[in-house]
Amino acid sequence: MRIGAAKQTYAADEALFDTTVQRAWLIGLFALLAVFPFMAGPYWVYMACLVAINIASATGLNILTGYTGLVSLGQAAFMGVGAYTVAWLEVNVGTPLPLNLILGGVVAGLAGMVVGVPSLRVKGLYLAIATIAASVILHFVFSHWTAVTGGVSGLTMPPGSLFGLTLDEPHELYWVIVPVTVLMVFGAANLFRTRIGRAFIAIRDRDISAEVLGIRLLRFKLLSFALSSFYAGVAGGLWVYFFRVVTPESFPLVMSIFFLAAIIVGGMGSILGAILGAAFMTMVPEALKLVVGWMSPWVPDAVALLSPVRTIVFGGLIVLFLIFEPQGLAEVWRRVRRFFHLWPFKT
Amino acid sequence: MDWLFLAEVSLAGIGAGGLYALTGLAFVLIYKATRVVNLAIGEILMLGGYVFFGFAAGLALPTWLAILLTLAVAGLFGGVVERLLIRPMLGESPISVFMLTIGLGSILVGVVELLWGANPLQLPDYMPNTPLFIGEAYVSAKVATAFAVAAVTVVAFLLLFRFWRGGVALRATAGDQAAAYSMGIDVPRVFSLAWVIACITAAASGMLVGAIGGISPTMGVFGLSVLVVVIVGGLDSVLGAMVAGLFIGLLEALTGAFLGGEFKMLATFTLLVAVLVVRPYGLFGTHEIERL
Amino acid sequence: MTFKLSRRTVLAALVAAGLAAGSLAPQARAADDIVLGGSIPLTGVFAFAGEGIHAGIQDWVKMVNEQGGIDGRMLRYVPEDTAYKVDASVAAFNKITGQNAVNLYYADSTAFSKTINPELERNGKILMAGASFATELNDPEKFPLQFIAGPDYTEMFGILLEYVSKEKPGAKVAFVHSDTEFGRDPIASSTERAKTLGLEVVETIVTPPGSVDVSTEVLKLRRARPDYTIFHGYVLAPIPEFINQAKQMGMETKFMGTFWSMDNGIVMKMGEAADGFMGVMPYRYYYDDSEKAPMLEKIRQMRPEYQSTAYLQGMLTAMLMTEAVKRTLADGKELTGPNLKASLNSLKDFDTGGIIGVPVSIPGNSIPVGRIYQADMKQQKMVPVSDWIRLDKAGG
Repeated sequence: MRIGAAKQTYAADEALFDTTVQRAWLIGLFALLAVFPFMAGPYWVYMACLVAINIASATGLNILTGYTGLVSLGQAAFMGVGAYTVAWLEVNVGTPLPLNLILGGVVAGLAGMVVGVPSLRVKGLYLAIATIAASVILHFVFSHWTAVTGGVSGLTMPPGSLFGLTLDEPHELYWVIVPVTVLMVFGAANLFRTRIGRAFIAIRDRDISAEVLGIRLLRFKLLSFALSSFYAGVAGGLWVYFFRVVTPESFPLVMSIFFLAAIIVGGMGSILGAILGAAFMTMVPEALKLVVGWMSPWVPDAVALLSPVRTIVFGGLIVLFLIFEPQGLAEVWRRVRRFFHLWPFKT
Repeated sequence: MDWLFLAEVSLAGIGAGGLYALTGLAFVLIYKATRVVNLAIGEILMLGGYVFFGFAAGLALPTWLAILLTLAVAGLFGGVVERLLIRPMLGESPISVFMLTIGLGSILVGVVELLWGANPLQLPDYMPNTPLFIGEAYVSAKVATAFAVAAVTVVAFLLLFRFWRGGVALRATAGDQAAAYSMGIDVPRVFSLAWVIACITAAASGMLVGAIGGISPTMGVFGLSVLVVVIVGGLDSVLGAMVAGLFIGLLEALTGAFLGGEFKMLATFTLLVAVLVVRPYGLFGTHEIERL
Repeated sequence: MTFKLSRRTVLAALVAAGLAAGSLAPQARAADDIVLGGSIPLTGVFAFAGEGIHAGIQDWVKMVNEQGGIDGRMLRYVPEDTAYKVDASVAAFNKITGQNAVNLYYADSTAFSKTINPELERNGKILMAGASFATELNDPEKFPLQFIAGPDYTEMFGILLEYVSKEKPGAKVAFVHSDTEFGRDPIASSTERAKTLGLEVVETIVTPPGSVDVSTEVLKLRRARPDYTIFHGYVLAPIPEFINQAKQMGMETKFMGTFWSMDNGIVMKMGEAADGFMGVMPYRYYYDDSEKAPMLEKIRQMRPEYQSTAYLQGMLTAMLMTEAVKRTLADGKELTGPNLKASLNSLKDFDTGGIIGVPVSIPGNSIPVGRIYQADMKQQKMVPVSDWIRLDKAGG
């Protein structure tokens, strides 16, 4: 049971984690993340890395779509920009891993800013479609700028290394991917305690009002695009360290839809939402695979059903959440927590 | 310069453009009446192709019956989707509704794969196959037929909008929902009607597209080009969809012929970006003025 | 209110069920089995091939185990569906190698073969082959632990061009390919090759993926007036419409295809217009009983209905892998990737039981052998129009 907390300063009121219990849970979570690679098999470590990469990218998209209200269907393409940048640096320059990741993010961020330019003239759905155009154009660049991107066969790169250690297995990369993701998630959470973050939210709620209040739309919309694409770029960089090859087909439009679906299912405009959504949407196909595996003795050709069922479930989750739980998993989580606040005195 | 070649390419482009215009019409219809951007239009088109395949090849019905049944199924489908999925979302942010249609598209792809498998299929031949020559220029018979059907449908729609009661109600709803309501127009019914007619139109173009290029669960990509068409034309303009449809068809054919097939998508989407920057509401779309 | 709650409960239950299902995993293994893992595209765009490959490998594994396995060790096939998606395929690889001691692996796509290659070299215990005939993979330096159970795409074009140059020296050829990695694969190198054979490449046409109407492309082709047109990077669409329109225009060109568009079932789907469609095929078709072929007879016994060329591809791949294991064990060596590959490369004039009509050797990563077949719509069959063409012997 939890009782109300008396806060005496604004800083305390704004804190991300305001009670000791919350901090204890957080430490517990970190401890769990730290022991996970030693407890779980290679397959689960692999999945954990993938989930972390998706969380990083989904968090970025959440800044843009969930907090600033600008819909983007280009997140995967920006991940591609980051991935290509990192792979190119790794192959041709050989700069250290942390610098590569940051540069990947910066290049993607710049690309995002360019794509964000139409957002000054158009918004809502027109903007969403402009970002589709951006991903088509970026795809063309990936597959035809052969000198840099390697054309249709893409770029293959050697494993990354950090502090003299070669990172070529999931349980080694885990120690890069998960901390970077944690850092990025905290960065995003803190962003919304600052002036910039509040400006984003004001733009989302009504951009004309925000402008009247003295928020420069041009600057903040582009900043939001840049930040979101920076996240995508870093996530793309992690992705390419993980898979070590990037081709134009690596980041299709469907993947952008996946990220949008992830933040819808998780909860738009909620940090926790992006985390839950990305994790959930990444794990659902795996869960389905197991369900199909169990069914196979009874249902002939169960394996052949997997892909269509996965497609249906993917669409179905989007539709169901939009109709029945528009606030997403984050809201479900909050409800569960609220229930336990007064438990066992009120059920 | 080979003028005959240019003429032939242009005719092929305009022919394909007719299909864009027809599908674009389905899109505009829904947007005009309900303000829903329906990204599932490509998948509804695909569904039309498959349902026709089911009737014509699976059940071996005569072509005319298969066509009628397909259109009926598509209409029913439109009505059901509107009632079950779109109606509950009334008043939600347009972005939510737009994502909902993406979800719907994904469901349709899955269902089609479940029922008919993922492999590409050929529709039974139901179109004339004797080559057509306009002057000396060759036109593929299928494309010409598709264009003729598309043209007739579009003209029929324009007439319906002008003279039919339902058409007028639809235009009134598009103009001002509250005013339409107060004049005794049953707005919810207009919504259903718009979806029914739009899905029928999309299914019709699905049958045409399928007859030319075969059907597969990925043929919904066609919807992506249609998206460009309606944005360039203006989301709420029937005339815009027609003009832009023909124009984009022509543009794709010319880029394909003179630059190479890989530039087609690039050309259309570059045009899209240009239009968005210069005329954000399309060539013929209504410029909405926002007030606080 | 109660209704609302119940809807939420249902949703919550769904979520919980999903998460719960994700946290459990069934397991099964036997210590000294030879494990053949597989990323198999049983669903998705490549399902038509995946089903055949799956059946082919299954049947081969059954045959081997019925005869007592390899040196008394059973062959165990552990497939997983990938829907032809690279990420799913990599996940499958990690899962299968995580839960089994895998010796052999079947890969479903070029992208996967490339993606997993560094991991394969690091692992060092696996010999891999798959559904990709990509030219890039045919490089023992870069892909030391992989091979291709047939000619790579460039070699397929080489075989076609060889045939063309014999039939009509100095002929004009055109290439039509899709704008994908698969489609672009052999184009540049084959343009060179055509030149050295004295052929003229008059046009190269690219079609974007998912294009519906091909009128423009056909018009372009007509202007070029080629004697032979080679399609690559397609399975079915848009080949039928292409041929159809070209015939309507009265074009005389002969159309050709490569492996994945050459299955009998697929060519027959193209309809009447495809009569005379030719292409390269490294294997003999299921129904081919012109020569003695014990393997094909056995297949016809096991499965009385037509089996696709993908089936034969899967079976041959598994057969060559098994042979590599057999030879490695016979030499008393450890089953590591490099040893398996060395044993595979030691194959000299190996008899595939008639799946390939001539004895084969695998000096590198591929088997550059093939034959030209032509569609005969009356018989509903592909019939051979050339003898076996071997690029390795012809000094190509």
